[in-house]
Amino acid sequence: MGYQGGWIQRLLRSGSGHGGTLLGFAIAAGLLSLPALVFGADVAPAAPTEYRDIPYVGSRNVIWVVAQLHLLLAGFVLGVPMFAWVCEVVAWRGGEKRYDKLAKEFTKLLTSAYSTTALFGGILLFLLIAFYPKLMNYLTDIFFPSFIVYCILFLVETATLYLYWYGWDAMQYGGKKTFHIFLGLMLNVFAFFIMIIPNSWATFQSSPVVIAEGTDMARAWAATWNPTWWPVNIHRIIANVVLGGYICGAYAGIRYLSAKTPEERDHYDWMGYVGNFIGVFGLLALPFAGYWLMREIYQYNQQMGITLMGGFLSWLFILQAMLIGVLFLGSNYYFWLGITYRIPGSALKYRKPMLAMLVVLLLCLAVWMTPHSLVASLEEAAKMGGSHHPLLGVLGVMSAKMTVSNLMILVTFMSFIMYWRAGKQDTAGWAKIAKAIMGAILVLAGVAVIILGVWGYFVPAIIRINYFSTSQVLIVIGVMLTITPLTALLMKSAKTTTEMAWGKMPPRAGYSLVLNAIMVILLMTLMGYARSSSRVHWHVYGVVRDTSQYAFSPALGYASGIMALCTFFFCMIVAFIFWVATMGDKAKAVSASPSKGELPHGMPAMAGASSALDAPKAPKF
Amino acid sequence: MSEVARLQLICLSVVGSGILILLFIKSVFPRVIGFVAIVLGLFMLTALAVPQMASLPPVEEKFDIATVKTPTDLAAIGQKIFFSKGQCALCHTIGPSESARCPDLKGIGAKLSREFLYESMTQPQAYIYKDYRHEGLPKMYPAEMPAINKNPIGLSRNEILSVIAFLQQMSGEPISINPSELDVPGQAPAAPVKAAQSGPMAVAQAH
Repeated sequence: MGYQGGWIQRLLRSGSGHGGTLLGFAIAAGLLSLPALVFGADVAPAAPTEYRDIPYVGSRNVIWVVAQLHLLLAGFVLGVPMFAWVCEVVAWRGGEKRYDKLAKEFTKLLTSAYSTTALFGGILLFLLIAFYPKLMNYLTDIFFPSFIVYCILFLVETATLYLYWYGWDAMQYGGKKTFHIFLGLMLNVFAFFIMIIPNSWATFQSSPVVIAEGTDMARAWAATWNPTWWPVNIHRIIANVVLGGYICGAYAGIRYLSAKTPEERDHYDWMGYVGNFIGVFGLLALPFAGYWLMREIYQYNQQMGITLMGGFLSWLFILQAMLIGVLFLGSNYYFWLGITYRIPGSALKYRKPMLAMLVVLLLCLAVWMTPHSLVASLEEAAKMGGSHHPLLGVLGVMSAKMTVSNLMILVTFMSFIMYWRAGKQDTAGWAKIAKAIMGAILVLAGVAVIILGVWGYFVPAIIRINYFSTSQVLIVIGVMLTITPLTALLMKSAKTTTEMAWGKMPPRAGYSLVLNAIMVILLMTLMGYARSSSRVHWHVYGVVRDTSQYAFSPALGYASGIMALCTFFFCMIVAFIFWVATMGDKAKAVSASPSKGELPHGMPAMAGASSALDAPKAPKF
Repeated sequence: MSEVARLQLICLSVVGSGILILLFIKSVFPRVIGFVAIVLGLFMLTALAVPQMASLPPVEEKFDIATVKTPTDLAAIGQKIFFSKGQCALCHTIGPSESARCPDLKGIGAKLSREFLYESMTQPQAYIYKDYRHEGLPKMYPAEMPAINKNPIGLSRNEILSVIAFLQQMSGEPISINPSELDVPGQAPAAPVKAAQSGPMAVAQAH
């Protein structure tokens, strides 16, 4: 059934918007209208069916929401094992048991989160086959061998996950613990491959390569190694760490807000700190990966790059700047709250630097959010002397934006170092020299980044892109790689002057953790829309054209509605997963002392929620 | 009420609900939901405040040969294609630009023969034009010219000829393409424009 009507496109061309569709979507609540499929399909089609639809809601909207939820859940499921494994290794090497407890608490989520992700993956696959049979047939012809590898990886990953989780308490000591750590590592290795295989399908759609004749395997291999595959792999793996960290933070924030005892407040305050730290750790590296991805897109296809950065998606990057800016502000704010409330006596000492950093962050954000060309009436444009504002037009270009994004990363890194150093006194003899060197490195790096940014206006684009922007990135990475080990060495011999007071943070700290998580999720939904829209009216860019009535990309306002909906659904699903996974803990707290290995009466034996697994068993020798 | 206004109203009610929850409900989880609602509502309001541009698939414009009577008609069609379906203006400038990622096309119709222009569009790797706008050895331009007779642009022979006519007209040259050279639907297509045989000679002209 090939679409001839294209009523949505006609509606758009006549200037209508999308509010009705969005409202219709909200009312129909996505999957409830699946049975209506039968009405959307033609009866006895003469030609092979190309598309199917769902009335009122639209097949594209359903696919959009389900695919986005699957992707977010997948990011969560792949991010959490990394997070948990690192915590377990920290506990194993450092001997701090609370890290092991934290790792276990999050691994407990994995079993239910994993099955929910697979559930959405299954729904997505069925819907894709139903709505886009021609496209799916085309992709299957190319990627069939990788489907097999994907299935095998899933089996191995599932088995490893079960061993990792259910063997947690049985493998606590000695060689068994080492084996458990190895299992965690393998869990992450398999998860990485599970991530990069579907990435090859999605990136092939955006940057297809010429597929020569050959065996099925050779064709699949050639298609897999498309120009944006590795940039997306690296970008996604870092983004997953960020998502895992901030979701951990948000969970800790909510539990902190509802904590009833001082012990709970202490624990969840600390958990929030760890989540925020891991989130920031990934966040600092994420813009570099994004820059590399964008560079590859430009090199692959100039038009696609321009569609993203200078075409109809250019305003999307203003929204992206806003979300990233709020995320940077939120993360720094949480650090500053930590310095103020957890480390008594530090508030006064660090007030001025914190204020200065806030001002720098706000200024940087203002520049980052500056659009290159303004929406102006003819009269306004005449007054400005063109579509570019004489001042703002200068700030709205890449040279300025690259500079401020690097400065924001530097400031956030400084916040982290400040937090690390707060409440400690250096005792090493070389501390003064080290601090002077670190200060000089920071100042010189900041100045160098600004000089390169300003210089970037006066050189051809190729010089700026290939040398100046890359140098800015390398300078910032260099700062981190120099100052982090230096600080670590200093802190090794430092004397603690003020003990960390956990559980003293104000409620707004909990909300700032929730805000950070929402920003990350929104960013992922926004960039999902950008990636899909950059293909414009192609299913596979330049190869398979979208001839359906949904060949258009909706405007940002409408798209933001779907993004908000996906974010809300995802939060609710994650909340449900947390609730299910912690059901056992609550029951255990209520029940006085259930006998070993026995579930409290009336409590469902949910996967991963068994209270018996929470109690560490004595080692057997 | 416009669709944008209707969406803004929905966003405002979402934000309002969130504020009401925060004001009147004490339980933590509903309050967090209220907070999330406010954040999402504000995000949508911001997204609705920026220009609402949808990307529509290009309308399949048919090259109506009956309307082309003179070379000037051809150039007029070429100009439209240059700025729309051909997407030439996405990378090329007409006039010097320091930040150009592709060669400047000002006066290109006078510098290059029609055969060379045709080859540059359909076999762009046959001769790579280099960037001489700086001291030292010439360098590659950052952007790579796509073969515009292939997807995703996919111009037909008639469309390419009309773009060449536009480039010649823009450069103040007499248009060397006659409407009689165009392919007529239903008839066997004419032989492609013969590319310049001597690449280096054409290159020399390009400077």
